[in-house]
Amino acid sequence: MPSIFNLIWSKEIREGLYTWKGLVWLVIASILFSFTSYLLLTNKELSLLDQAELLWLLSKIILVVALLIVTIDASMVIATEFEKETAESLFLAPLSIRDFILGKFLASFTLWLALFIVAVPYMLATSAGSHLAPAFLGYVLLLGSLGVIGFIFFIFALSLLYRSSKSTLTTSLMLLLAFTAPALFSSTLKTATVATTISKINPIDNIFSSLDNVLVDFQTTLSQNWQFLFPLIVFCLVTFVFLSFSISVFRRQGIIRNE
Amino acid sequence: MIEAIIADRLTKHYGATMAVDTLQLHVRQGEFFGFLGPNGAGKTTTIRMLTGVVNPDEGNILINNFSIKDKSNIARTIGVLPESRGFYDWLTGAEYLDFFARLYGITERDSVAVLLERVGLTAQRKKKISAYSRGMRQRLGLARALINKPSILFLDEPTLGLDPRGQQDVQNLLRSLNQDGMTIFYSSHLLNEVSELCSRIAILDKGKIVAEGTLNELRQQADRQAGTLTDIFLTLTHA
Repeated sequence: MPSIFNLIWSKEIREGLYTWKGLVWLVIASILFSFTSYLLLTNKELSLLDQAELLWLLSKIILVVALLIVTIDASMVIATEFEKETAESLFLAPLSIRDFILGKFLASFTLWLALFIVAVPYMLATSAGSHLAPAFLGYVLLLGSLGVIGFIFFIFALSLLYRSSKSTLTTSLMLLLAFTAPALFSSTLKTATVATTISKINPIDNIFSSLDNVLVDFQTTLSQNWQFLFPLIVFCLVTFVFLSFSISVFRRQGIIRNE
Repeated sequence: MIEAIIADRLTKHYGATMAVDTLQLHVRQGEFFGFLGPNGAGKTTTIRMLTGVVNPDEGNILINNFSIKDKSNIARTIGVLPESRGFYDWLTGAEYLDFFARLYGITERDSVAVLLERVGLTAQRKKKISAYSRGMRQRLGLARALINKPSILFLDEPTLGLDPRGQQDVQNLLRSLNQDGMTIFYSSHLLNEVSELCSRIAILDKGKIVAEGTLNELRQQADRQAGTLTDIFLTLTHA
């Protein structure tokens, strides 16, 4: 008998393919990556941008686009089961909330991996001729995965509490914006104690700083990036605790809660 | 007689509204049990509590001697056609049932085909659910409720949206399932249907059971020598 979470995972993948939803995201990402890579490579040829800077900019764009798409998709996958009234039948079957969440998580994480695979040719094209390609690909995958995991946990926790895709999406996008906007500020704007503290705990800031460390400063080992990886791992743990709390609230409230 | 469903002092509030009030219910194994009540009487909330979808504020529920908290055993014992009927519209009828069969760990390849045949959807098995009529969705929901060969079947308005022939087909199917020993808990607004099918009936009003028994026992409780179930219902619920 297949694991039940596998069934939920494969259902989500099939839905992404049958309804074209998943493919549309990949096409949108591909268009954005093509456009960005073309602009960056043109600038490089004009000697306006060195290759390390180019890779750093592209990696930031890939990760922000991927995080945005995963955030939008993950905001729907759980909440729509409640909105379309399919959750009741699903939970009447011997399906635990743990298997349900795990299946949905794997589906959203698969979308991130698919987006990464779409981005690979652009990353290889822009890093051609430099020794940075393995580190570039490796760190985008590692940092992106940690960021995506943390965001999916947070979004799923909200979905279980709100049971509404609109509310989940609005709150999640606001959080993504709140993390991304300060990360795009130049370092000269982050000199005050409060700004540096926020910067140290902001997961997006840590992703960008680690990429800067790897691609611009050539600090490519994990130990050289631990100061950035550690806050990302903490972010994942905090959001996992939030998700665990939401699951316990869900169990207490029941599949259909008080109206 | 062995009890299939026991609800003891079941209570549920929605804010200040008392949806179900210390409800006592005993349904025997193999019984075709009708559950009636006016709109807002608490029927759907009761069914949702009996199937583990809504947590009661107070009270205990035993289904085939399993506590309602024993979700895994309950899920394998019961089949439910709930009031909310969401479907994955992008799947075909056969794919939809196959997905639920796998959730229950059922691997026999012909089980889905047999069920589609039983509910009269064989010809539409390869159609997307989005193209199904309301009646076809109803039949598909019923097939899903039967996928795990449950010993207790909960039905909330199972013939809603069906044409007279469809209603007849579903009634015949339910009769045959009951004759095979399945306990059926049947909630409907179609009182003729309930009086034809059910061996015992409970009438719920404002969250409380106001009468329970065979049709004759209900007549006695309503102080009526004769009359249809509709007359009894109107007398007892003051609707």
